[in-house]
Amino acid sequence: MNRYLARRLVESIITLFLATVVVFLGIRALPGDPARVLAGEESDPQAIAEVRASYGLDQPLPVQYVRYLGKAFTGDLGTSVRTGLPVTEIIAGALPVTLELAFLAMLVAILIGLSTGVIAAVRRRGPLEWASNSVALLGLSIPNFWFGQMGILLFAVLLGVLPASGFVPFLDDPVENLRRMIMPAVVLGSAIAAVIMRQTRSAMLESLTADFVRTARAKGLPRHQVILGHALRNSLIVVTTVVGLQLGILISGAVVTESIFVLPGFGRLTLDAVFTRDYPLMQGVVLITATAYIVLNLLVDLLYSVIDPRIRVGGAAL
Amino acid sequence: MTAVVDAPVVKEPRLTRRRALRRVLRNPLAMVGLSVVLLAVLLAILAPLIAPFPYEATDFTAPAPQPPSGHHWLGTDELGRDQFSRVLFGLRASVVVGALAVLLSVIVGVPLGLLAGFYGWLDPIVSRLTDLLLAFPFLILAVGLAVILGPSLFTAVVAIGVGQIPGMIRVTRGETLRLRGMDYVGAAFANGAGDLTVLGRHILPNAVNAILVQATVYVPAAIIGEAVLSFLGLGVRPPTPSLGVMLASAQPFYHDGPWMAVFPGLVIVVLTLALNLLGDGLRDALDPKESGRA
Repeated sequence: MNRYLARRLVESIITLFLATVVVFLGIRALPGDPARVLAGEESDPQAIAEVRASYGLDQPLPVQYVRYLGKAFTGDLGTSVRTGLPVTEIIAGALPVTLELAFLAMLVAILIGLSTGVIAAVRRRGPLEWASNSVALLGLSIPNFWFGQMGILLFAVLLGVLPASGFVPFLDDPVENLRRMIMPAVVLGSAIAAVIMRQTRSAMLESLTADFVRTARAKGLPRHQVILGHALRNSLIVVTTVVGLQLGILISGAVVTESIFVLPGFGRLTLDAVFTRDYPLMQGVVLITATAYIVLNLLVDLLYSVIDPRIRVGGAAL
Repeated sequence: MTAVVDAPVVKEPRLTRRRALRRVLRNPLAMVGLSVVLLAVLLAILAPLIAPFPYEATDFTAPAPQPPSGHHWLGTDELGRDQFSRVLFGLRASVVVGALAVLLSVIVGVPLGLLAGFYGWLDPIVSRLTDLLLAFPFLILAVGLAVILGPSLFTAVVAIGVGQIPGMIRVTRGETLRLRGMDYVGAAFANGAGDLTVLGRHILPNAVNAILVQATVYVPAAIIGEAVLSFLGLGVRPPTPSLGVMLASAQPFYHDGPWMAVFPGLVIVVLTLALNLLGDGLRDALDPKESGRA
């Protein structure tokens, strides 16, 4: 157990360290002189030299890297070129929007994915299985940004029941906030729901044929109790990891979803940083994403090994 | 002497593969998928011959965007350009990226996976590299590459291909680890076969099924990936048509030209759906464990 924990922890730290190197070098590999960008395109050489010195850009790369890492550790990710605000502050402002979106999307995904997955497994070879499978296949084949566009066309343009875009903070007006978040959440959640549905179905099919389910049936438990209490409960182990593995889709999907529905979240911020060539912001955004991703993946792995002891034994033996 | 060891190894996957091919050919859904995919490739290749208008030709005989009509089957966009012609040319970008990105991930990922699975000392290095690539969500990686390389079709291919390399490495590595323990691999070594011979003649041919299954998942993903990148302005750039670019330019016209958003998206859905059906059919046919469930 401890060996597995320690190994995963060390691996994650190495990956995180390499990721900071990649982010750092990646930003410096970009075309153009950062000092010139920071000082403004029309600055004279004197001003550019001053900026270069004040940002430490005249130092050798390893020195710059260590300095950058030291600052990042204390939460100082630099200052946005475009707005002049600290990068940390900008990111902190955008994060709640994305966290709400991610939370609601996951809720939608789990509700739809689990229920259709169970139905498809229980009603094998029936019209319900066929319907759930078709929906899952469609969910995997429809690009979610187009799904969002069709949602806007139907609910905002044609029916006029939901706003097409924009964001209202939850604390300002909870009802309006949810009205604006429901479409983005369904769009982002549907992509993940399809994956959860397929995994739930195959995990359920497996546990429904297991001995303990036959025993439960044989001792006369009601059908729904066997399905929900025994089969589903054991299938949840697999589903948990799958949910964890969807974090990448969630993060990438947030970029696209926020772009379609014009939500001022983290994904939108990422694109803005790219298109305005705001290098410090870009660096901060990518670093935060990679860190969050690595840490969350580690947590999912650990959670998984807590739920299923076979994993940590197998993992330690490898 | 070698022939004795080789015979069951080289022949067997071929036999099962022929049986798998027969099973795919008997699967009606997979055949529908295959027909649609072939049609799409054909349309993409023949786009200049089939398209009723040049893709950049503007038509202002009526206020743009024009709704679908006998003249413009799928309507026109805000610049009066024929949507049907643009969809045909946009298919080219989809097909090119779908094919080349996956090719890139196979060319880089399969050898790395084989080596990592075969040589224990290489495994940690390759695994850290895949972890590193996986440390960045796909789109963030693509955004980074698009910034460095500048948005283009080439960028889309590289960004998506690189994003798919870790998965390709993992699948190939897993298969190699499994196959390395097989008796016939031990027999080949005992018979004096070198590492390269074992990898190339005994392990790779048997790992092809798993790689193929992975590729069938990746091709539709790459096509959607191209549309997403182009939609965000990080892939194909206007005026070159791409289905993603068309959907992006439809955004301000939800009220005045909803057809601009509907048709390019429908084409993507039909193409990826067809690829997924074909892929599911192949997977069921190649994987005897799964086929009972389908």
